[in-house]
Amino acid sequence: MDLRLDLLLPEFVVAGAALGAIVTELLLRAGRRARPTALTAALGLAVALVLLLVQQPEGTAMLVRAVADDASSPMVTGWRSDAFSVFMRALAAAGGLLVVLLAVPYTRRMDRGHGEFHALLLFAVLGVMLVAGVQDLLSLFVCLELVTINSFVLAAFKRNDLRSTEAGLKYLVIGALSTAILLLGIAFVYGATGAVSFAQIGLAVGGAPNALLVLGLVLVLVGMLFKLGAVPFHVWIPDVYQGAPSPVVAFLSTGSKAAGVILLVRFGHAVLMPSVAAPGGVPWVWLLGAIALITLLFGTLGAISQRSIKRLFAYSSIGHAGYLLMGITAMVAVRDGAGPDPVPATTAILFYLLAFFFTNLTAFAVIVLVSGLSGRHEGSSYAGLARRSPLVGLALLLALLSLAGVPPLSGFFGKFLVLAALVGKDLYGLAIVGALGVVVSLYFYLLWIREIFVSPPADGAPALRPGPWSTAVLAVGIVAMVGMGIFMGPFHTWAHDAARSLVALP
Amino acid sequence: MNPLLVILLAPALAALALFAVPESRTRWVRGISVVGTGIALAAALWLFVAYPSAPHPDLAPEQWRAGDHAYKYVVATDWVPSIGLSFKLGVDGIGVVLVLLTAFTIFTGVIVSFGIRDRAKEYYISLLALVTGVFGVFMSLDLFFYYFFYEIAVIPMFLLIGIWGSTTRTVDKRYATMKLVLLLSTGAVLALVGLIATYATAGTFDMVALERHEFSRSFQLLWFPFVFLGFASLVPMWPFHSWSPAGHAAAPAAVSMLHAGVLMKLGAYGVLRIACTYFPDAAATYLPWVGLLCCMNIVYGGLVAVSQRDMKLIIGYSSSSHMGYVLLGIASMTALGVQGAVFLMFAHGLMTALAFSLIGWFYDQTHTRMVDDLGGLMKVMPFVGVCFVIASMASAGLPGFANFVSELTVIVGAWESPMLARWHKIPAILAVWGLVITGVYLLRAVKDIWFGEISPRWANLVDARKPVERLPFVILVGALVFFGFFPQTILRVSKDGADQLVRRVAGDLGPSADASPDRAASAEAGPPAEEGR
Repeated sequence: MDLRLDLLLPEFVVAGAALGAIVTELLLRAGRRARPTALTAALGLAVALVLLLVQQPEGTAMLVRAVADDASSPMVTGWRSDAFSVFMRALAAAGGLLVVLLAVPYTRRMDRGHGEFHALLLFAVLGVMLVAGVQDLLSLFVCLELVTINSFVLAAFKRNDLRSTEAGLKYLVIGALSTAILLLGIAFVYGATGAVSFAQIGLAVGGAPNALLVLGLVLVLVGMLFKLGAVPFHVWIPDVYQGAPSPVVAFLSTGSKAAGVILLVRFGHAVLMPSVAAPGGVPWVWLLGAIALITLLFGTLGAISQRSIKRLFAYSSIGHAGYLLMGITAMVAVRDGAGPDPVPATTAILFYLLAFFFTNLTAFAVIVLVSGLSGRHEGSSYAGLARRSPLVGLALLLALLSLAGVPPLSGFFGKFLVLAALVGKDLYGLAIVGALGVVVSLYFYLLWIREIFVSPPADGAPALRPGPWSTAVLAVGIVAMVGMGIFMGPFHTWAHDAARSLVALP
Repeated sequence: MNPLLVILLAPALAALALFAVPESRTRWVRGISVVGTGIALAAALWLFVAYPSAPHPDLAPEQWRAGDHAYKYVVATDWVPSIGLSFKLGVDGIGVVLVLLTAFTIFTGVIVSFGIRDRAKEYYISLLALVTGVFGVFMSLDLFFYYFFYEIAVIPMFLLIGIWGSTTRTVDKRYATMKLVLLLSTGAVLALVGLIATYATAGTFDMVALERHEFSRSFQLLWFPFVFLGFASLVPMWPFHSWSPAGHAAAPAAVSMLHAGVLMKLGAYGVLRIACTYFPDAAATYLPWVGLLCCMNIVYGGLVAVSQRDMKLIIGYSSSSHMGYVLLGIASMTALGVQGAVFLMFAHGLMTALAFSLIGWFYDQTHTRMVDDLGGLMKVMPFVGVCFVIASMASAGLPGFANFVSELTVIVGAWESPMLARWHKIPAILAVWGLVITGVYLLRAVKDIWFGEISPRWANLVDARKPVERLPFVILVGALVFFGFFPQTILRVSKDGADQLVRRVAGDLGPSADASPDRAASAEAGPPAEEGR
């Protein structure tokens, strides 16, 4: 195994852009830094995205050089660039690019810290991109921490703001706890198997049941579920979402969540699926299914009573974590009398995530425009939004409907694929609850849609004129939501290829 | 070009074009909407005329036998090959009839909506999006797109009623619109799980292949209730009907027209095309019970209508009563009953569209629909009044209108149905009594609104005078009368689809199958007993 740095070229570009943003800030006078730093960051992510889409590099590189680099040693670890990781890295880069652009109205108003903001954001995106290729628990830990630690700082970025500081602190405390649990789990797994790479752990779980190993795996899983925001590891989400700056929440709800999904998919394929197939195996399907069910119910039911749009998105993102976990459950499950067939479920998860990225980022672009400037998040500040700006109103309408899962928008096809994957594995109960969850979420999204379209604008509310960058983000979001919702073929094929590349693993 | 594509794309492209029109150009907005739906109507009429003689493209001539079921004008293209999803359109006779109904309703609905000035652009975009969904449902031959269009048809209702609807003493539009969307979506997603199970078992979305697929009996018994109830809640079958009258009452005129005229038919169409066709064994087991439940629709819906004083609620409950006849026809599973059900969907759609457009005409001026507030309006708006009387007579089942022929056909089908034999003709007898109840509330409403002393505050109301104002009423009345006198034009078209379904579920076509069009046609000559009130 070589140190094939060429595979990591997009990541180097992103890291370079992050440093470039800091340098740009140093070179410019205060008051002129907003646009150049944002441009540097956007350019870096755009180049990385193009590189990923054009090159599609495949191969395995060494990322973490551990104790020994002898091939027989269990500590040798790898980092893979396959179709799955390319898919996820491209998604992370595209999402990061949109976050940078939608943050422009916000960053323009900051009096300092432009370089840091973009650098931290890019490093966090870099972390997500790196997570996409991890093959072992050690690089998993390192890459995940890259995401998490940057997120802590970003959440507390408005350091004069009480809520933002509170959000950062809460996130830090709970995040540190989850990190500790994850590390403990890694230690247990290593203690039980002497291995850190997913493939070797996968071989080990096929053998005799081992309580220490199972405990370790559960703890590792808990660490991932923290990132995803699954119940009962969701407690940080509402407060952090409410307090952190809106562009940061946009990243947390997409990139950071994607990191959890990526790990669950990789870990699920390499470790959980062999474990389910093993005789006397651990009932992972029941465990994951139960968590998915509770997460979905908690998120959708909790969102009903929210009066602040950021808390609404906090709960709705918990609900979406439930759907993603349902996909993971279907991925791991085995249909009676059939072999393991994770591809449909994995495809569903990937398409769901793809749709969710563009939908959620469109919604946050609107939130930054409407609430980010005024600091008011309650429903009345969204009253009559469609009259104040038809484009912004339309974007939020489509985003909310797509999140609810209404055709012809991309969110519908994602939910459809997840439900189909569940039914394909005979998990009818989960499928029915998932389908009914659509109705509940439709209810609270429609309450906001009523506010946007039916209620008259508040007296004196000015017409809203999004700037060129925000307009671009909204346009991209609308095109993506409708385009992926109607012409879903190429995107499904892309997700399908990515899902298949996981099965082809040695 | 394929007529189905024209019908589907004309309103969709019109909606897209509207995005480019400035909000202030209301005339352009109306013009584009009229052109879009007009093209769809022309294509639908052409389709209706050309359908019986069109060849069967998906069967080779040597495979085709007389009376065989096949879809015509099929157009298909791969959409998502990795899961076997294709975009496929095609119609059989049932589809043709319902497409024609939709085209009539939307074209007249667009014209009726000319009075809407507030946010007209958004209104027409929502309306056209809705109708695109409806057309899509009636023409889809792929299960995924069937559901896709089905949901598209439901959601715009929220905006249409929420923004342009009205809150009155009887109904709060915020409540009504949320209830409507949530109940319909609940039904839809339950049906969706059933549809996905169908797909997972048969391994295809292709509705033609699914029709020929034999599902195991236990599978059918498990999933039929999901799919059937999912669609039947849109019909709306008692006890899932309560969204419907409230939705009617809160909606603007054109939306009520589409809602009662077309949207409810989506449910009945789903019951026919999906639930009964794919799960024939389960249908044979469950349908007799449906035959009982729909009597509740007919009688209970009618009795509730009698006690209403809001004109839109009267028509709303009467719709749920009349859709009970449609369910009864389906539940009878005789060739006569199913054809009658399809014909009744058509006739009832035209009739309610007419009634709601007329109510909209006077409500725009009076701002009340309460029967007690009105009276003597015939003196100020004779044209609208006469049309209203015609609509009421049609609804009450007067010979000479399409409703009479179709309701009679349904009742005869229910009378002779072997499937309903265990209930000893009770459903058929109740259905006849339902007609009497219909007569009670409609004649009373006609008397209270149009005749008697006129209140001085209504003295300045305006009749429909301009040709463009009269056009929608003329079209709808004309269609009601035409198809009342020439029912065989419809029955000839809908025969293949109905026969195929009945053969699949009941095994044979039931008594008097061959004579059905002629019998129904000749029945119109003789005076029926239940009209002698």
